[in-house]
Amino acid sequence: MKIFIIASFLTLTTVSCSFKEPKPIKLNTDACDFCKMTIANGKFGAELSTKKGRYYKFDDTACMIQFTKSNTNIPYQSFFVCDYLKDNTLIPAETAYFIKGGKINSPMRGNIAAFSSAKEQTEFGKKLEAQTISWTEVNNAYE
Amino acid sequence: MKKLVYILFFFYSISNAKIITVGKAFPVKTIKKAISLANDGDTIIVTQGLYKEGNIIINKKITFLGKNQPTLDGQNKFEVLSIAADSVVVKGFKIINSGYAALDDPCGIKVYDRNFVHLENNFLDNNFFGIYLQNCKNSIVKNNTIKAYGKQEQLIGNGIHCWKSENLQIIGNKISGHRDGIYFEFVTQSVIWRNISNNNIRYGLHFMFSNDDSYITNVFKGNGAGVAVMFTKNVKMFNNYFEENWGDSAYGLLLKEIADSYIFNNRFARNTSGIYMEGTSRIKVEKNIFEANGWGMKIQASCMENEIVNNNYVGNTFDISTNGSLVLNTFNSNYWDKYEGYDLNKDGIGDVPYHPLSLFAVLTENNPSAMILYRSFMITLLDKSEKVLPSITPDNFIDNTPLMKSLPL
Repeated sequence: MKIFIIASFLTLTTVSCSFKEPKPIKLNTDACDFCKMTIANGKFGAELSTKKGRYYKFDDTACMIQFTKSNTNIPYQSFFVCDYLKDNTLIPAETAYFIKGGKINSPMRGNIAAFSSAKEQTEFGKKLEAQTISWTEVNNAYE
Repeated sequence: MKKLVYILFFFYSISNAKIITVGKAFPVKTIKKAISLANDGDTIIVTQGLYKEGNIIINKKITFLGKNQPTLDGQNKFEVLSIAADSVVVKGFKIINSGYAALDDPCGIKVYDRNFVHLENNFLDNNFFGIYLQNCKNSIVKNNTIKAYGKQEQLIGNGIHCWKSENLQIIGNKISGHRDGIYFEFVTQSVIWRNISNNNIRYGLHFMFSNDDSYITNVFKGNGAGVAVMFTKNVKMFNNYFEENWGDSAYGLLLKEIADSYIFNNRFARNTSGIYMEGTSRIKVEKNIFEANGWGMKIQASCMENEIVNNNYVGNTFDISTNGSLVLNTFNSNYWDKYEGYDLNKDGIGDVPYHPLSLFAVLTENNPSAMILYRSFMITLLDKSEKVLPSITPDNFIDNTPLMKSLPL
């Protein structure tokens, strides 16, 4: 019994300390940690968490990528991007589907939109005349 | 002879222009009908009334006038007025309830790739975007009142949104309740003059990638985050009011990646930060008033070769704050109300240099929660000793010629 309590306690602490869940962005209140602009568009927001549990919020995926490039000493935990089709809903960046360019107009001209399914990705890629792009390519898009 | 022909032709073309009146009591009942009947150069006068005609497209060079402010209603479904012809004049309308959607940005009035368009004396109420100029040249937006009722956490467009344009004149408009009051992106050689942009959700004025513009005698008050000027060079900012922009990420004026600009004779009053500068270079800040702000100016270490001359700093909690120890900007002949020096030779210039950067400003910059200790006895003591013997604050961060009396600005 004792072991069980300790074990459950341990799992609880490890779970609560992993910072793998996104924190919602407060539109028109939170500012981008890279460009300092107030985040107003829930289609293009992004967020990252560090291993220590600090969250950084961004108004554009490009801002997040540039932030990681200029702050290489921060131990990153997870990356999140806003789903283009659901206003202000963050989804994990690693499993998101991206398109770039075309008619997409994002706040800092990163012009990347994220979707939660490959079907939406191809559909909106055609609609917005944008190219499909992978998360690794997104990471290297703003050198 | 040739001249005479021209003149005759001119009169001929004038006499040929007709006036079409739209209204219940007139043969032409709808605006769309009137536009289809009109030729280039004609005038359409719309009399008072409520017109629900969906999306009205003006695709001819006409003058479109409202008599006694007729109302064009978009019924929350359509873009109300689309302009797709050069030299269109739109005056005296009340334009309400544009569609609300994010993908195609429906507007009260949208101008598509046109020149010499003139929008004057219109009242735009409850539209997603107010006036949208896309790829326009030599156009005038004058004396319009633009109102929306945007709330926090809600998507809403900008009051006057200008994109990829040049030679615009934005004059005497009143904007409130939109996301950004006036938004400029890739707009050059333009002037923003005598506008009042209050209580917008985000910025009163927002500049991105817009070179060689000036904004003069505008009032930006009570906006969510003040005014932002970003990634731009050669901007002139004269005689503006930046007031009452409160909040953690609110600034009277946010400057980021700006070069070669001139900030002259503005008033920054009651903001969390009067000016916040980052990545800013070769700017002259002259004869401005910084009054009752939390921070007069926040100058990040990435700024260089800026000149801060002849300003009045009155009643700010902190006059200046910075996050680095490198000093690449010059401060000269400003008036600081916290200056405690003396002037023995009575030339109006203090005999000892002034250190505008207080110890506590540096501490809170590095550790914001230290603010809780502000005005405590220890901090006051440390601040005084720092003034005498600078140790944490950079000792060359000084105004060598502080003024004894405030400038009459």
